[in-house]
Amino acid sequence: MEKKFGVYICKGCSIGESVNIDNLIKSTARAAKMQPEAVRVHDVLCSPAGLEMIKNDVKEGTNAIVIGACSPRVKFEEFDLPGAITERVNLREFVAWSQDPNTDATQSIAEDYMKMGIIKVQKGDLPEPNILPDLSKTIVVVGGGVSGLTSALEAAEAGYEVVLVEKQAELGGWAAKLYKQTPREYPYEKLEEPAVFAKIKEVEAHPNIKVYKSAVIEKTEGQPGLFDVTIRTNGTGETIKAGAFIMAAGWQPYDASKLGHLGYGNPNVITNVQMEEIAKTGKITRPSDGKEAKRVAFIQCAGSRDPEHLPYCSSFCCATSLKQAKYVREKNGDAVAMIFYKDIRTPGQTEIFYKNMQNDPGVLLTKADVTGISDAGNGNMFVEAENTLLGEKIKVEADLVVLATGIVPATRAPQEYLDGLTEAGKKGDDARKAYIESTPKPEFILNLDYRQGPEIPSLEGAYGFADSNFICFQYETRRTGIYSAGCVRQPMTMADASDDAAGAALKAIQCVEHVAQGIAVHPRAWDMTFPDPLMIKCTSCKRCTEECPFGAIDEDEKGTPFYRINRCRRCGTCMGACPERIVSFKDFSVDIVGSMIRGIEVSEDEFRIVVLACENDAYPALDSAAIKRNKINPNVRIIPVRCLGSTNLVWVTDAFSKGIDGLILLGCKYGENYQCHFVKGSELANYRFGKVKETLDKLQLESDRCQLIQVAISEYDKLPEIINDFVARVEEIGPNPFKEF
Amino acid sequence: MPEQIMTQVISPDLNFVKDIIASGGESLKKCYQCSTCTVVCNVTPDDKPFPRKEMMYAQWGMKDKLVSNPDIWLCHQCSDCTAYCPRGAKPGEVIGAVRKLAIQHYSPTPLAKMVGDPKYLLMLFAIPVLLFLAYIVPKGYLDFSAIPRGEDGGIVYSKFVPVFPEIDVTFGAAAFFAAVCFVLGIKRYWTDMSAGVKVQGNLMDSIKATIIDIITHKKFEKCNVTKDRKTSHLLVFYSFVGLAITTTLAIVYLYGFKYESPYPLYDPLKIIGNISALALLYGITLVTGNRLKNAEKAGKGSYFDWLFITVVAVVAVTGMGAQLFRLADIAILAYPTYFTHLVFVFFLFAYAPFSKMAHMVYRTTAMVFARHTNRD
Repeated sequence: MEKKFGVYICKGCSIGESVNIDNLIKSTARAAKMQPEAVRVHDVLCSPAGLEMIKNDVKEGTNAIVIGACSPRVKFEEFDLPGAITERVNLREFVAWSQDPNTDATQSIAEDYMKMGIIKVQKGDLPEPNILPDLSKTIVVVGGGVSGLTSALEAAEAGYEVVLVEKQAELGGWAAKLYKQTPREYPYEKLEEPAVFAKIKEVEAHPNIKVYKSAVIEKTEGQPGLFDVTIRTNGTGETIKAGAFIMAAGWQPYDASKLGHLGYGNPNVITNVQMEEIAKTGKITRPSDGKEAKRVAFIQCAGSRDPEHLPYCSSFCCATSLKQAKYVREKNGDAVAMIFYKDIRTPGQTEIFYKNMQNDPGVLLTKADVTGISDAGNGNMFVEAENTLLGEKIKVEADLVVLATGIVPATRAPQEYLDGLTEAGKKGDDARKAYIESTPKPEFILNLDYRQGPEIPSLEGAYGFADSNFICFQYETRRTGIYSAGCVRQPMTMADASDDAAGAALKAIQCVEHVAQGIAVHPRAWDMTFPDPLMIKCTSCKRCTEECPFGAIDEDEKGTPFYRINRCRRCGTCMGACPERIVSFKDFSVDIVGSMIRGIEVSEDEFRIVVLACENDAYPALDSAAIKRNKINPNVRIIPVRCLGSTNLVWVTDAFSKGIDGLILLGCKYGENYQCHFVKGSELANYRFGKVKETLDKLQLESDRCQLIQVAISEYDKLPEIINDFVARVEEIGPNPFKEF
Repeated sequence: MPEQIMTQVISPDLNFVKDIIASGGESLKKCYQCSTCTVVCNVTPDDKPFPRKEMMYAQWGMKDKLVSNPDIWLCHQCSDCTAYCPRGAKPGEVIGAVRKLAIQHYSPTPLAKMVGDPKYLLMLFAIPVLLFLAYIVPKGYLDFSAIPRGEDGGIVYSKFVPVFPEIDVTFGAAAFFAAVCFVLGIKRYWTDMSAGVKVQGNLMDSIKATIIDIITHKKFEKCNVTKDRKTSHLLVFYSFVGLAITTTLAIVYLYGFKYESPYPLYDPLKIIGNISALALLYGITLVTGNRLKNAEKAGKGSYFDWLFITVVAVVAVTGMGAQLFRLADIAILAYPTYFTHLVFVFFLFAYAPFSKMAHMVYRTTAMVFARHTNRD
């Protein structure tokens, strides 16, 4: 594409009062190799008149545009110029609002930023969408419980073809096994008939939904928009095309046979699942002798919130026990239901149901650590507890004990198996083989034909749930186009599962629609660029296939990596990983960023620090600091990157050989509460830069000149200080010895 | 207490829960044990504070833990807990209901249940009404003009209902009955309270300290929401003391000096009696006013409470009224008022061990016990 440059500088929002605009025009024109008169200046560039000016130029053929105004994070609709490469230089936040006005340092910052903007547009190119042929928009829903049925209906009602795959012979999941369900309507007093049956009818009658019962997914190949899904029903396989998945595979109750310490094994100690069965018979009787149970004890968190069993809260068991207490009370007004809890947790509107149930004189509640169940004769039992509100140590006689068991997500068994396999694999082929032979293989859910494994990768600290990796984006798994909903994602009530299902359906729709437009699915949902490797230089080192957080890169028979581009989220981790530096995006490449770094003016008597800032959290945090008028150290130059995972080691060389005195990688927190949009970009960067430090030390270049700093978006107020501290440390070390070259 | 070491067996009594709810503790079940009540309570001891644990016992129908518990009487129903309860469980009202049930529990007669239940109200009043009618009807005194007058022609109530034997035997018997019931109740209560508890120190010291607490009304000063109760309760309390002195003097006058009523207004007996009556009238008006004013924060009170307040108020009003109408010589008002006065005084004393009046004895006992066991 032949580029016709247009450079615009806004004087508004105090930019005009902070820098010498004439000098800025001159230096920018020099960098852009254009006449100073051609640089356009406007008092308020985002005003109708200012925008009109730019748009007229675009009409007349200007297609490479640099706008020196506010942060690219604001006014993106105003400065959206289709058909033109547009680079927005942050003169407002990073210069006018965070620097002392009209100093030499401030002038030089503005000039550097404008120059870097020019370089980026010079080196960049206009992206074109990468639309793969023969795309399908069909959405596969795995699981026919409340979540799956709701997802299927939501997607079908929105006009999408849906294929619902249910393992059991009938739809409905656990919800169909209930006697009654907790109230969902004001005043949250009356138990309701299970609502799932109406939903089943609706799904089975919907013209857009095809239901496979007694069916499993045998194999899933391909990528969003182009999945080939093999469904096996009663011995016969069928392969269909699909665009996206909603995984609503649900849960299993925790294995009560592990709860011997709570009396399980005694016939009159049952689980909450068994209680539903008993309630259906019309009378609350106990298994041992069929006698009516008039004193029913409910033990909450039976195996939940217990490091020995399930460390998490299963969310609905408190409401379930309150509901079952109502069974007891409704069947016999003289009966009492005694609930022993750690804490009552009734999320959302179930809290109101809790309050209502609490008002029933026959529903008795106490906080307690249940220590055991002992025999009280005649089939009765003593519930023994400590730390109760009734006394330090108590015994209460009961006719029937109900254990409120929690949930185990359907994904847990496959994940544990696969994690075990990975561990064994690290010890060698023999160990791997032994593991496969000795470990029973659990039922897989998706059977993905991906290089990185057949199921959703397990998430640290998620206990086998298929939760999102990203604190801001639920439903998203690490497999693009596969969204999880309901209890397979997190423990939740049926009401929450319905909401969850609708959300996941919207994500699946977003996926198939973005893929159809050839743009990134999420979180860079506007991004038309994609990684475009120069394959001729690929050495098949496979670092990209290992490091891609989303398994977007597979290998062909010869072991050469190739992209399944619709799985890609455009984070650039592959670009940062590639030792040959062959991966580029149209507006983001090793060369573009390297050239920008080299474009920074370096003088011998001034320290110059480069900050490579993650666009997702660090850059907005810097913007926020500027908006609050915090001063940012004038020695730094900030360059945004897609993710710290995209930082290539060669940029370190670029910076230090140019004479830059220090380099900060400003990225997200990692570890337990990581906030990276791309799973572990900053962690990867830290790992890579750990290695580069050794090299720096060998070159007698102090490795302290290069530091990765983790920052949360909310820590903007601390950022200026953090940066100052680093600059002070570099000043202590002294100027970069390469400066003189 | 020993239950800390031993495992205690709990047998929830659903009927007791229902009784509390029916006795003015209808909000009982709302409590979710956040313990705000014990934190805001200024009256509770720091060790094992109330009323949270009482709320818990009440919810679980643990009658034994409640009725024999001195803490329910250490509570002065300041209602700070009720005002600050985040869930509207009104611990003050609940404990009030529990106190009523405790009075019932220790009462040796079924009368206690009847006093606490509006169903029996008419029946309870019928007893004194019929009794006093039995004294006057045969004499034809329903016709007021048939009632003999005094030497100066004025109204003389002892000619309407003679002091002896009618008045004194009736009230003497009522007082004796009440005293016996109190003694029996308190004996059982003390036995229950002291079961397994180590008693320390000198009982007389504890009694002395308790009496000082009561005559100074120090505990009431700790209340926040119902701060003004100190004045009103103090007035009612001392007016009862004054009226007791008046009664004693009357007995001395009559049986010691054969000096019969009516007495002139300047007589020391009359002066003490009238000051006490005015104080009672003012005090009970304040009690009522405070209760109505604080109803939103402190709760509206139970039938049991209001019955007692009403009886005291009527006793004061009719006592004053009977004197005024007598002096004004308005027979048509004087005799019925005096009759009503007799009926209500009977109600107040004969049913004292079963009505809220009993708090006087149970609370005092509990306070002595608490001091005696270093609880308070």
